[in-house]
Amino acid sequence: MNLSFFDQFTSPCLLGIPLIAISMLFPSLLIPYSDNRWITNRLSTLQSWFLNPITKQLMIPLNKKGHKWALILTSLTTLLLMINLLGLLPYTFTPTTQLSMNMALAFPLWFATLLTGLRNQPTISLGHLLPEGTPAILIPTLILIETTSLLIRPLALAVRLTANLTAGHLLIQLISTAATTLLPIMPTISILTTTILLLLTILEVAVAMIQAYVFVLLLSLYLQENI
Amino acid sequence: SSGPYMLGTGLLLYLLSKEIYVINHETVAAASILSVIIYCIKKYGADVAAFADKLNEEKVAKALAVKNEAIEHLQTAIEEEKKEQWRVEGRSYLFDAKRNNIAMLLETNYRERLLTVYNEVKKRLDYQVALQALKRQKEQDHMIQWVERNVVQSITPQQQKESIAKCILDLKALSKSAQA
Repeated sequence: MNLSFFDQFTSPCLLGIPLIAISMLFPSLLIPYSDNRWITNRLSTLQSWFLNPITKQLMIPLNKKGHKWALILTSLTTLLLMINLLGLLPYTFTPTTQLSMNMALAFPLWFATLLTGLRNQPTISLGHLLPEGTPAILIPTLILIETTSLLIRPLALAVRLTANLTAGHLLIQLISTAATTLLPIMPTISILTTTILLLLTILEVAVAMIQAYVFVLLLSLYLQENI
Repeated sequence: SSGPYMLGTGLLLYLLSKEIYVINHETVAAASILSVIIYCIKKYGADVAAFADKLNEEKVAKALAVKNEAIEHLQTAIEEEKKEQWRVEGRSYLFDAKRNNIAMLLETNYRERLLTVYNEVKKRLDYQVALQALKRQKEQDHMIQWVERNVVQSITPQQQKESIAKCILDLKALSKSAQA
């Protein structure tokens, strides 16, 4: 099959049946849920060893009401992490490269934090629009700027994730194309390009993990302000 | 046992030669990511497994430690109880010693008081004796003085002259004998 560079970003379809649901939910199959054993197998032990500090880290700055968000934030982390990492395998489709999915994740969650803040403590939430200690002249301008920054948050969250992953995948494709085409012509440059590809792959693995974490971290920060 | 390898190689060559699997850029990307994954697993696989096992071990060890501590606690409690039982047996000796102690104290106290009584009585009696001696002495002195006074009074002047002359004669005699 001949692939163009953007075929990896098309929603997968098999005989006209869209497989997007499977591709979004498949990563959850790879994570064993904890049954009621005290001593679990290695995978479950490592998983809980990995997730417990992350959850603790996310929940420490939040007050007690914010701890209700622990489950959704932790599961969001795990979902994004698995999707990103699985997308690095060849011929896989990464759902998080689609802006639609990321907006669907970012917008409702952000909006939930906003509404929680406005509903329970409207004065404090609106007070966040003006940082402390600003001189009186700048107040109108600053409020406009802060409102813009507030309203652009969901877009920023979604686009950050999409752009990072899409760019990474595209770069991998481009550099591997360069390596393949250069192989018969200039083998040494081809080897150099392959080295770059290896380094890029390692970078992409790191980016995949970091982006997942950053997404959830920012959401928890927005939550801190508002809950 | 070379069956799976034969199948794998044959399948791969078949797919490649018939161009069922086309080598494209994705192949190189696949090669790089797979090499990274395999390298990580080969290098850190055993360590990660050992780490997971260690985590579980620590969990079990903690629970075992609690159990062992409880057992040790109970053992020490048993030994203490046994020691207490042995102590109870020796209690009668303790009481005897204490009883003896107290008897000795009482005895000593009684003896001391007896001595005090004796001393006091002796003091009283000594006083009476001294009083009587003094009285007799005074009577004696008084009588001697009275006798002397009377004697002195009864010496008439005549007798005084006679005694003085006699003394002088005696003295002369003595001096004569002394000179000789």
